[in-house]
Amino acid sequence: MTHNATLPPPGPQAGQDAAQQLTERWRDGRPGPLPRLMPAHEPADLRAHLERFGAPPYRGAPRRLIGDVEAAGLTGRGGAAFPTYRKLAAMTAGHGPAPVVVGNGAEGEPASHKDKTLLWFSPHLVLDGLQLAAEAVGSVTVGLYVHRDPRLYGWLEAAIGERATAGLDAARVELIEAPPRFLAGEKSALASKASGGTALPRFKPSRASQRGVSGRRTLVQNVETLAHLALIARHGAAWFRSAGTQDEPGSMLATLHQADGRTGVVETTLGTPIAGLLRLPARAVLVGGYHGAWLPAEQAGRLPLANAALRPLGAVVGAGVLAALPADRCGLAETARVASYLALESAGQCGPCFNGLPRMAGALEELAGPRPDPRVSADLERWSGLVDGRGACHHPDGTVRFVRSALRVFADEMDHHARGSCTGTSGRPFLPLPGQTPLDDADWR
Amino acid sequence: MTAITPSTALWYASRATGVVSLLLLSLVVMLGILVNRQGRLPGLPSFAVTGLHRSLSLLSVLFIAVHVATAVIDPFVSIGLAAVVIPFVSAYQPFWLGLGAVALDLIIALILTSLARAHLSRRVWRSVHWLAYAAWPVALVHGLGISGDLRGGGLLTLAIGCALAVGAAGLWRLAGAAGELPRAERAAAALDGIRRHARPTMRGGPGGTGQPARPAEARRATRPTPGDGGAR
Repeated sequence: MTHNATLPPPGPQAGQDAAQQLTERWRDGRPGPLPRLMPAHEPADLRAHLERFGAPPYRGAPRRLIGDVEAAGLTGRGGAAFPTYRKLAAMTAGHGPAPVVVGNGAEGEPASHKDKTLLWFSPHLVLDGLQLAAEAVGSVTVGLYVHRDPRLYGWLEAAIGERATAGLDAARVELIEAPPRFLAGEKSALASKASGGTALPRFKPSRASQRGVSGRRTLVQNVETLAHLALIARHGAAWFRSAGTQDEPGSMLATLHQADGRTGVVETTLGTPIAGLLRLPARAVLVGGYHGAWLPAEQAGRLPLANAALRPLGAVVGAGVLAALPADRCGLAETARVASYLALESAGQCGPCFNGLPRMAGALEELAGPRPDPRVSADLERWSGLVDGRGACHHPDGTVRFVRSALRVFADEMDHHARGSCTGTSGRPFLPLPGQTPLDDADWR
Repeated sequence: MTAITPSTALWYASRATGVVSLLLLSLVVMLGILVNRQGRLPGLPSFAVTGLHRSLSLLSVLFIAVHVATAVIDPFVSIGLAAVVIPFVSAYQPFWLGLGAVALDLIIALILTSLARAHLSRRVWRSVHWLAYAAWPVALVHGLGISGDLRGGGLLTLAIGCALAVGAAGLWRLAGAAGELPRAERAAAALDGIRRHARPTMRGGPGGTGQPARPAEARRATRPTPGDGGAR
């Protein structure tokens, strides 16, 4: 089952019968197999949501839900895979005013569509999760941070309004607009934006958890994490663990970019073989998006989608982006395109980032061309070491991971380029990038 | 008369450490500006410039401490403990000594916030650190006013040399601030500069990046840019 990533939801298509069956299975309300998070066919309005799930199961007091979340082993689905219960528990410790809770739906990664798709198909599951998380940490200040997309924004406003009318929500949810930048969804950028400032990553140690929105403790959870939390509250930890692996339980949303150009969002279990999600063979596989890593297609085809298997190879599940590079494209050219995009998305705050990433992007452009200077790849390695870990946020680190993996995986292609030839026969870009990059400080607002 | 005797040793020590402190503080300010402009010293990586700035500032604290302590202990003039940190309350040279107290207070604030930097927000640390630009001239004027030492001979040359060097560094800092690009344009300017020196690529054909150097060039067509300031 694949969700078309473009809004509005997909119309009639091949395989509609199967999709219809899935929709019915989703509707019948039993906690069954996948899909857990989204109806297969059409977005769930409040009526459809209540039919399947009923009202959010409030626990009546703070902290009570946290044990269930811990037993379930839920981790953040925004990319970092941090244990959710620890973030919740950290909010209930300490003094001061009640914490702020913000659902993070600002999916700046151009190759990822899963958060937008989830918010479109199952907004109420996310909103349930927000309310339940707020109750768990004793918060009444709740926000939802999403990109400016008039359709999605209007749909979420309507959903919040419907819930208010039905009296479902303990706290009023405020929608916060994220600027269209790659880093706008970074936790400290979110906290800054929600406090009325610019959506720029902040320097540690003003960690968002301790000093977030308006200086208050702030719980930031990815919207998919919140949807899982809403299901754990209903069906329990054992149910959640009935999918996935022992160490990485549950299901997750993944955005797939097939080599034939088709794109979609699927719900899958952690530990699913990558070969079962992407149609291989391909020239190479990108795992984890633009802060992730390239893997040789054969190697990726033998691996499960799980951090335990991917981390030793320098890759991560991240926010679940998987892309199969078609055989007729040049991996170096694709990496160079994305690297210059990432360089331009630097917030311009940290020297190693706003000087180093453009240098690396320029070097990759040279590598993508014929007969590059033989010293360029050594330069790239050296600069990677100088940039890694030197930013306020993880933008330099993630970009370095991506670039380094290209140097490993496309080593053969580099030999071809050194001789002045290229094995890519199509110059058409493959990996998605936004049409234009804003270059004004005001664009961070 | 000018011989160092036990009774004048403290007085000489205070004046000597004062002169050394001026030299050290001048170096610290210049290194701080170099750190700010992300400059390099020959043979040193840029983080070593930061390290040198830090080490020399701690060393100058040591000299200032001896300078202040010997001046207080010395019986030749009586300087109360309060006058060390409270400006303009001293019986001896209230104005010139007061300037010294002001400089000392500012330096204490700089050192304490830097030692506690891991626990402070960057904004707090930065705004306190701006005080360095006030502390240095106040300290210099304190030295010029309170004793004749700096007003002639080799020490006058030293004082003028320090003032010229720090002044030049300050102007360089201002020029850098004026040429500084808005944050959002820095990476684009850097990429621009690199691409201008790049050799032609297979762009457009197989293996090309498929997308020309779009962003910054498109921007240049619509808006004049202040050159290469971000691509240092």
